[in-house]
Amino acid sequence: MHKNYGENDALIDVDLRVAKGEFVYVTGPSGAGKSTLLKLLYGAEHPTGGKLLVGGVDASKLSQRQLPFLRRNVGVVFQDFKLIQRRTVLDNVGLSLEVLGMARSEIDRRVRAVLGVVGLRGKEKRYPTQLSGGEQQRVAVARGIVNDPAILLADEPTGNLDGAMAVEVMEILQAINLRGTTVMIATHDVGLMERFPARRVRFEGGKLVRDR
Amino acid sequence: MKPALWAHLVRRAVRSLWENLYLNAVAAGVIGAAVTLVGVFLMIMVNLSELVDAWDRDVHVSAYFYTDVPVDRRFAVKDDVGRLEEVHSVRYISEVEARAWLIERLPEIDRVLEALGDDVLPASLEITLQDGATRPSDIESFASRIASEDFERIDYGQEWVQRFNSFLSLLQLLGVAMGFLILTAAVFLVGNTMHLVTYARRAELETMKLVGATWIFIAIPFFLEGIVQGVVGSSAAIGALFVLHRFLLVRLQTALQLALGGQVLDFLTPGWLAVLVLSGVVLGVCGSLISVRRFWQAAP
Repeated sequence: MHKNYGENDALIDVDLRVAKGEFVYVTGPSGAGKSTLLKLLYGAEHPTGGKLLVGGVDASKLSQRQLPFLRRNVGVVFQDFKLIQRRTVLDNVGLSLEVLGMARSEIDRRVRAVLGVVGLRGKEKRYPTQLSGGEQQRVAVARGIVNDPAILLADEPTGNLDGAMAVEVMEILQAINLRGTTVMIATHDVGLMERFPARRVRFEGGKLVRDR
Repeated sequence: MKPALWAHLVRRAVRSLWENLYLNAVAAGVIGAAVTLVGVFLMIMVNLSELVDAWDRDVHVSAYFYTDVPVDRRFAVKDDVGRLEEVHSVRYISEVEARAWLIERLPEIDRVLEALGDDVLPASLEITLQDGATRPSDIESFASRIASEDFERIDYGQEWVQRFNSFLSLLQLLGVAMGFLILTAAVFLVGNTMHLVTYARRAELETMKLVGATWIFIAIPFFLEGIVQGVVGSSAAIGALFVLHRFLLVRLQTALQLALGGQVLDFLTPGWLAVLVLSGVVLGVCGSLISVRRFWQAAP
């Protein structure tokens, strides 16, 4: 697979397979292509050449109309959380279920359950600004997993967190992976990768240089 | 679509209307202004058209006798004319009646008429034609048929009405073009106002798209907002038109009494009001959807 922006190559001849249920770190320096790979996986970008299969679906050929159905199977945790400031934790997390047309009572039940998993029980009515950075990141994780996606992508999920909070978030992601969800994390935090060992794929200048 | 999904969409629309009350009011105001402009023009056109129709129905031919035609001859001519098949009715108007008619409308002319003498206004036949015989060519041929040594002059106003009708058609064409321009400009204005609403909510909309919201899910609340803006804006416009009709046109009617000849300046019919409301709704919906479409295409 190949991705370029005009004359700039973001990803060059990447050949990568991730099995169902795997836990994978995508590493490399800034500008190596980690975020681009994740964007391709959740359909925010389309490859310029080659083939990209996500859960058996050719994501390189998806139209705007088909894209939402891919995204319902791919949870994403953003580095900047992308939480809606005017909505409560309950509404933010419930958004992933609301777009499926789920009844309000069922949304409430499932959101409260997943907030228990990420350690935020009792904070349903809070607004993002009333939470710490670590708690906001956990809300973002909860929103990413509440609809049981087959794949969870996280772009620098610990980038804005201090050590203890970063460990907490990683423990949650590992627990989600143990339930069968494929997890891919873009990070350059070597300490965390050593503490939570898993497969690492390393990018440099848009090329996949190491996979172990 | 699932009922629960509809509940989410309606709730989103209501929340967005409330949270962006000022911008939504601006959009409704723009719609209101555009619909008012179109409505004013429509009201003028409808009234002018009705006026011309009334004049058209009222077309008659006036045949003026020479003063030396004896009265019994005049009545014999009247009977002859009355027997023609295209004639609906004939009325004989004597010199005295003509004079009284004019003095009734212009009392100050009395002294002038006295100075000019008794026979200044001739006796005439006022001939009303059957409905199917009021085309300019029909009237012209009728006038030439009844022309005789008894009549000094034969008048008919149809040509003037016809010319006014052509002018009205041109005005209608201009009205349609102007209405189209006003509505197009309003779509862009509403679109840009709604773009501000979309911009204020871009983070939320972007997140919704990223978690798998479909175009329908994002667009329907905007669609509903557009309907509300349209109904509110056009209702306000109808209110403004009503006030305008009540206080301005009715005064104008008094001033134009002679030209209108008792014709009442009407308010728009319920059918036309429904068209205005529908135009407002179409404006609101188009403006909203254009802005959200722009967002949808640009968002990741």
